[in-house]
Amino acid sequence: MSNVTSSFEEISKIEQAALQKVSQAQSTKELYDFKVEFLGKNGSFSGLMKFMKDLSPEDKPKFGQRVNEAKNRLEEAFTAQNQKLAQKEISERLAQEKIDVTLPGVTRSKGSPHPITMVIDEIVQILSRVGYSVRLGPLIEKDFYNFEALNVPEDHPARDMQDTFYIDKTHVLRTQTSPIQIRTMQAEKPPLRVVGPGSVFRCDSDISHAPQFHQIEGLCIDKKVSMSELKATLTYFTREFFGNTDIKTRLRPSFFPFTEPSAEFDSQCPFCSGKGCRMCKQSGWIELGGCGLVHPNVLRAAGLNPDEWQGFAFGFGIERMAIIKYGVEDIRLFAQNDIRFLEQFL
Amino acid sequence: MKISLKWINDFVDVQDVAPEKIADLLTNKGLEVEAIENKAVQFKNVVIGHILERGQHPNADRLTLCQVTTGEGKVHQIVCGAKNHKAGDRVVVALPGAVLPGNFEIKLSKIRNVESQGMLCSEKELGLSQESEGIMILPATSQIGQPFAEYMGFDDVVMELKVTPNRADCLSHWGLAREIACLLDRPLKIKEPSISFVGSTKSKVALDVQDTELCPRFTGTYIEGVRVGPSPEWMKRRLEASGMNSINNLVDVTNYVMLELGQPMHAYDAREIKGNKIIVSKAKPGEKFKTLDGTELTLSGTELMIRDAERSVGIAGVVGGQNSGIQDDTTNVFLEAAYFTMESVRKTARQHGIQTESAYRFSRGIDPSNTLRAANRAVELILELAGGTAYGDQHDSNPNPVEQKVIDIQIAQVEERLGHTVEPQKFTSWMKRLGCDVSVVGSKFRVIAPLYRPDLVIKEDLIEEYARLNGFEHIPEKLPTLGSSPTPHSQEYLLQQKVHQFMRAEGFSEAFTFSFVSDALQKKWIQSAQNLSGFVFKGEPVRIQNPLSDELNVMRQSLFTGLMQSCLHNVRHTLNVGRVYELGYVFDSQGDEFSQNSSLAFISWGQPQSLWSSNNASLFFETKTVVEDLLKSLLIKSYKFEALEAVSFLHPGQTASLKVEGKVVGFLGCVHPVLLEEEKVRVPVVYCELNLEQLLKGQPRKYRTKSISKFPMVERDLAFVMPKTLKAGDIIADMQKAAGAQLKSVLIFDVFEGGNLKDTDKSVAYRLIYQDMEKTLTDEDLQKLDKIVIDSVSQKYSISVR
Repeated sequence: MSNVTSSFEEISKIEQAALQKVSQAQSTKELYDFKVEFLGKNGSFSGLMKFMKDLSPEDKPKFGQRVNEAKNRLEEAFTAQNQKLAQKEISERLAQEKIDVTLPGVTRSKGSPHPITMVIDEIVQILSRVGYSVRLGPLIEKDFYNFEALNVPEDHPARDMQDTFYIDKTHVLRTQTSPIQIRTMQAEKPPLRVVGPGSVFRCDSDISHAPQFHQIEGLCIDKKVSMSELKATLTYFTREFFGNTDIKTRLRPSFFPFTEPSAEFDSQCPFCSGKGCRMCKQSGWIELGGCGLVHPNVLRAAGLNPDEWQGFAFGFGIERMAIIKYGVEDIRLFAQNDIRFLEQFL
Repeated sequence: MKISLKWINDFVDVQDVAPEKIADLLTNKGLEVEAIENKAVQFKNVVIGHILERGQHPNADRLTLCQVTTGEGKVHQIVCGAKNHKAGDRVVVALPGAVLPGNFEIKLSKIRNVESQGMLCSEKELGLSQESEGIMILPATSQIGQPFAEYMGFDDVVMELKVTPNRADCLSHWGLAREIACLLDRPLKIKEPSISFVGSTKSKVALDVQDTELCPRFTGTYIEGVRVGPSPEWMKRRLEASGMNSINNLVDVTNYVMLELGQPMHAYDAREIKGNKIIVSKAKPGEKFKTLDGTELTLSGTELMIRDAERSVGIAGVVGGQNSGIQDDTTNVFLEAAYFTMESVRKTARQHGIQTESAYRFSRGIDPSNTLRAANRAVELILELAGGTAYGDQHDSNPNPVEQKVIDIQIAQVEERLGHTVEPQKFTSWMKRLGCDVSVVGSKFRVIAPLYRPDLVIKEDLIEEYARLNGFEHIPEKLPTLGSSPTPHSQEYLLQQKVHQFMRAEGFSEAFTFSFVSDALQKKWIQSAQNLSGFVFKGEPVRIQNPLSDELNVMRQSLFTGLMQSCLHNVRHTLNVGRVYELGYVFDSQGDEFSQNSSLAFISWGQPQSLWSSNNASLFFETKTVVEDLLKSLLIKSYKFEALEAVSFLHPGQTASLKVEGKVVGFLGCVHPVLLEEEKVRVPVVYCELNLEQLLKGQPRKYRTKSISKFPMVERDLAFVMPKTLKAGDIIADMQKAAGAQLKSVLIFDVFEGGNLKDTDKSVAYRLIYQDMEKTLTDEDLQKLDKIVIDSVSQKYSISVR
């Protein structure tokens, strides 16, 4: 029969040894090893169970209780020490893993839209909201669509307004996006609201003119269409485009063979709100594009009866809009594709 | 067109209106004034002075020091470098504050330590001549202190107008005065010429207008005994103001009357009119004709000509002949003032590439009722400036007069098109001010347009005139209502949007290059007759008949020329890394047929130099990934890359064609090293071009979502030793075919050469991913699958597992 007292002493001895080791542990790893040494399957506390068989039945529970109490105290000590060590270890690790945040970021190639595409997309979005949808057309265009159908017959003085690149007797590089109007009117049933963006060509080239540039054109065909509605549409457009709900627009009489009445359309200068600045040459206004009611000859050429259908049309130069909106100062930049230019539009 | 305000004032009083006001008014009514030139303002602080004393500059041998008075006791000390002046001379003095041509501002200044209080001017410095020697010395009678502008008669204001093609009526001072009178509601001043005629023109020169269709009216006058000489200053000045040079009094009168009344005129030396007869008829085909300036033309037979009994003496309305123009010793003159039709003159001028002031006006449409008035004005001026006797009984052939246009219009129509109410009185008042006759016919107005407005033909023309004159600012704004559903955007546009978004997400910036390129460069790089089946540039390039230069003379057959040039631009600016794409059209011609195809191309050059990347990724395979991802985003699953040698500007060993569903839709490859060497490019360049039309066939495709297996995925790696010539990627299809649906994917993750491999061999490692939809694959299953895969490819290609 073993002595209860001596077995109790053994518990205390192990507990003391364990607590000391715990308090001296230098790392969570070391601590874990101690934990296994004392509390593991084959650890010291499991070894204490050998006393059990020699104890009297009444001592057995007492002994068990003592062992459990000691184990609990040890567990607590382990946990406390573990927390302390873990904290220390993580702060050491964080300190060690410090990086130089001033080093450059990882280079990834970024793609930007061309400013011309940006302007086209923006105009299309604005006009889509009031029911316009996009139509495209060919760049090598039949004389009929580029001139004849637009009320510019052969030997008409209006042909002088546009310097044309000729491909052969019946084909030109389109000088305007207006042929899209004719093609749409021929192919689809009115009422129509369409917008036609794209490249156009004129054979003059100087510091402010490129031989190829872009236009966008809106066409609205309905039973009754008036200048009043044209004006309102352009004001809506201008305000959306410049993001300024107070901006004013105005029409000035002009001449285009395919519209009548014809007008140039100006916006109050978005830079100075009409007060006068360098961009608007002190006038307070900037010219945006041309517009007018569709000429009856144009409707007729496109197969519509002008007594039944009316229309208005308007058009802008895209490069000009990009110059106004993004402050591009040299039109040559548009076709040069210098990546320092392109990447500004990310 | 340049307009002198002083000249305008001959016909309508505008002296009380500021030139800027007139310019604004015209611009706001559709006649855009592009510039105002005011010489009186230009010569502010430039006055006539008198040299009291000419001395020597104390510090410079070549300079004089003058005391100059400008009247009222004012004396200025002025340093002058000229030599041609002396005390007592009247000279032109620019005082401080003056701004001479070329924006040369005169200030108080010190020249070699001596103050100079102005400048004595030369003709060149005053902008009066290109070259001049010494300063300008004026006659001794010149008035000291008189403003120089006043002395020179520079009291005029010249406006430059942009006259739109429909407003031919405004291409003269009279015409513009008429427009201003209408706008300001002021009366026009009309002076009847006073001429005393003698005898009969008809008895001197006979007239036979054979083509009365192209020449509805012809007025001819004979003048005898004129003296050709210089024109007086006042006429020279007005011609110059309008941008014309003075030639001699007779020619000047014809130009002057054209600028004044808008009627082009021609004066013939009457002794050169053979048979004393003028005939108006079409040219003989093949006929030769020498114009005034000596250019020899071969006529086609469609031209309307002015002829005498033997030969042609002028092209009607375009240019006179060398054989019959005014000479220094001309004494007798036949003066033509005619109306030729717009179309006829325009066609002839265009056909022979002749642009004259006369042709410009005829082809826009002159006033057919104006010929006699213009003729008489010219006669009046000739008699005044060149003497002589004018013969009466003038020719005035007018067999089928041009009729005035009658336009019926209702006020409701004006209101409907403008979108606001219109007072009938206001409408008729404006029409009358325009020169129209207005009467009421039932519920309509009948408007008869004046002959000088050939552009007023239909009711829309009148609506435009009313809107313009009444002012667009009176039109209220009302958005149109949407009466029908919006239609979808064009499919092509939507697909382009998708491609744009994809390319930008892949890191490519959008480029724009011209659709025309240099034929020589395109030929050099792309070469003709590269036969890449199913793709572009197989025919001949589309040629531009009138190119701006040889740099831009054919339409592009591929986007390569433009994008490669863009790449070169960047590389030459040390921008050695770039990724750009272009979405545009390419053109091709086969016989008389053109094709224009939508194309997508992208070009990559250089690798980003970065702290983090290893910089050894292959640009070719980077590009290939872009293509594969694009195909994925278009839901295209069946495609194949095949080695390709046919593209002349690409490396024959580093180029692939792309086949989608059996058809070639494009290619990609490294740019040919010889081309790069020629252009001194030292970074790798990879180019890819895809035929968008082909690629986008059947788009947009529908997404069909597949369910995801719940069972584990297993990776197995297999390496095969194979000959280097074998295409590692080709084997994957065999593996998939053999293993079936349980083989989810195959990836090549390593290619190894050397070591103990034969020189002709390589080892390729494949990672196979197996998964089953219904169960977890067992070891047994996997071993079976591996065996199937290995057996299938090792048999077919005689290769072995490493």
